[in-house]
Amino acid sequence: MGKQNKMKKRWGIPPMILFLMVTFVIIVGAALLAPVLAPVDLGATDLTQRLAKPSFLDPTSPYLMGTDNLGRDVAVRLLYAIRSTVLISFTGMVIATALGTALGIISGLAGGVTDVIISFLTDVRLSVPTTFIGIILACILGARPATTVLVITITGWSSFCRLVRSQIFQLKKAAFIEASRSMGASGVRIVFEHILVNIASPLIVQATMELSGFILLESTLSFLGLGIEPPGTSLGVMVSNGRDYMLTHWWLAMIPSVVIVVLILQISLVGDWLRDKLDPKLKRIS
Amino acid sequence: MKRYVLMRVLKAIFTIWAVYTLVFFLTRVTGDPVDWLTQAGASDSAKETLRRNLGLDLPLWEQYVKSFVGLFTGDTGTSYYYSREVSDLFAERIWPTVSLGSIVFVVTIVVGLPLGVLAAVKHNSLLDRLTMSLAVIGSTLPNFVLGILLIFIFALTLRVLPSGGTGTVKNYIMPIIALSVGPIASVARLTRSSLLDVIGNDYLDFVRSKGMREWKVVIKHGLRNALIPVITILGSQLSALIGGSVVVETVFAWPGIGTLIVTSAQQRDFPVVVFGVLVIAASVTFVNLLVDLSYGLLDPRIRKS
Repeated sequence: MGKQNKMKKRWGIPPMILFLMVTFVIIVGAALLAPVLAPVDLGATDLTQRLAKPSFLDPTSPYLMGTDNLGRDVAVRLLYAIRSTVLISFTGMVIATALGTALGIISGLAGGVTDVIISFLTDVRLSVPTTFIGIILACILGARPATTVLVITITGWSSFCRLVRSQIFQLKKAAFIEASRSMGASGVRIVFEHILVNIASPLIVQATMELSGFILLESTLSFLGLGIEPPGTSLGVMVSNGRDYMLTHWWLAMIPSVVIVVLILQISLVGDWLRDKLDPKLKRIS
Repeated sequence: MKRYVLMRVLKAIFTIWAVYTLVFFLTRVTGDPVDWLTQAGASDSAKETLRRNLGLDLPLWEQYVKSFVGLFTGDTGTSYYYSREVSDLFAERIWPTVSLGSIVFVVTIVVGLPLGVLAAVKHNSLLDRLTMSLAVIGSTLPNFVLGILLIFIFALTLRVLPSGGTGTVKNYIMPIIALSVGPIASVARLTRSSLLDVIGNDYLDFVRSKGMREWKVVIKHGLRNALIPVITILGSQLSALIGGSVVVETVFAWPGIGTLIVTSAQQRDFPVVVFGVLVIAASVTFVNLLVDLSYGLLDPRIRKS
């Protein structure tokens, strides 16, 4: 799709990707500004306005997306839900990337026993499916946003570590690193001046690709009731609450579901494009 | 080769032991399960009795040794909540999970591989584009969203399938779809790209020039070489499948191991949680071991080194 277009304008952004990026920024921007745009008390309920229809089904309704079983405006809650989902997944991604990169650099440069231990930790982490790590930690530490960030960190670091480690093994042999070392550059200097610069592109690609997975993980945990406690909300919580009203009020579960799918789709399509752009080595045939 | 197999097996056993130990101690550091199990205001002597009955009065390391040795003597401990042998609880619930999981695994391969091959053979055709667009959507669709969507369409609107429970063939249909769409999409995408990498190679032109039929060229010489990356992800797909089965079991009220572990974790029923994680880690590690060892069978170059 759009391959010829890309070939012609090497640095041009295809219209499709531009559209995805702009819509993503609008959705996430509005969500991050939720406390400014719609300053409400998330715990406040209005039982006289229970389960009002959204205005796209009933034009007389004052609520764009209707109200939930406690009479709370769904559109407002949706903004706050996107806000917590995005903030939690993004924080987790940043920490997981930092931790994975650090361990990958240590593993790749130190080699030997350190490398064996770190690879063994990766094996241990990979032998327990992500969801179970989430379940165990949420039960031990409580269903809190901080727990979810920790789950993302614990489950997410290994892919970054593996990527950085393999990149370093390739870089170690590179002549320019050898040259720098022979001129007396310290290990720390080589890491910051040469290695980090060279692994930045694949790391950015990997982080983008993983972010969609982290959003999925956060939604899943909060759907299972292990992510965030009321009155706080997140996309998974809204789907889970809406589930009980599927037969009569299908939009309560469908609206947040669609938002989850749209966010994940936007991020992974932009990630695919970024990978092709920044990292031709990893390019898949499309 | 023998040495390699031995090393891999030892590493797998060590991994499973590490997971077991880690989860055992993690679940014990977070407070006294006795407080959780008794009602507020229970007398100290009642708490003491319960603690002794559950074996929680022993020092932590003794509890650990006892439960670890128990794994080999068939004593898997007693559930705090159900007051029953942990292995009995799992025996009751293993069949729904294993039957669902194995059907999904087979469906993934039977549907995903041919779709990928078809898309690669008809590269850039309408069929290819359509399959790949569907695959992109399929791999981004969270399985709980898919599950709820299926319930809405088939159980609530059309009323042709039961929305939950187990027992009949009809009960299996929606959980199978909800669990297999993601893996099918990944397998199809990877098969396609891996086969496209191989398909342009000279040795395929050579067999073509001998007059071999195109489909035979692709299946016999192309696919076999393209399968290694696909098999690599089958291991991680299984891990994702087991993780996803927790969610799907919850959505469809499926009485399997996933729902057992989730409810046990919520009730702090540690023996059940620790044993459950052990079972899961062991099966994931075992499959990954099989995957590693099967490379050798598929690729003689690896077998010799």
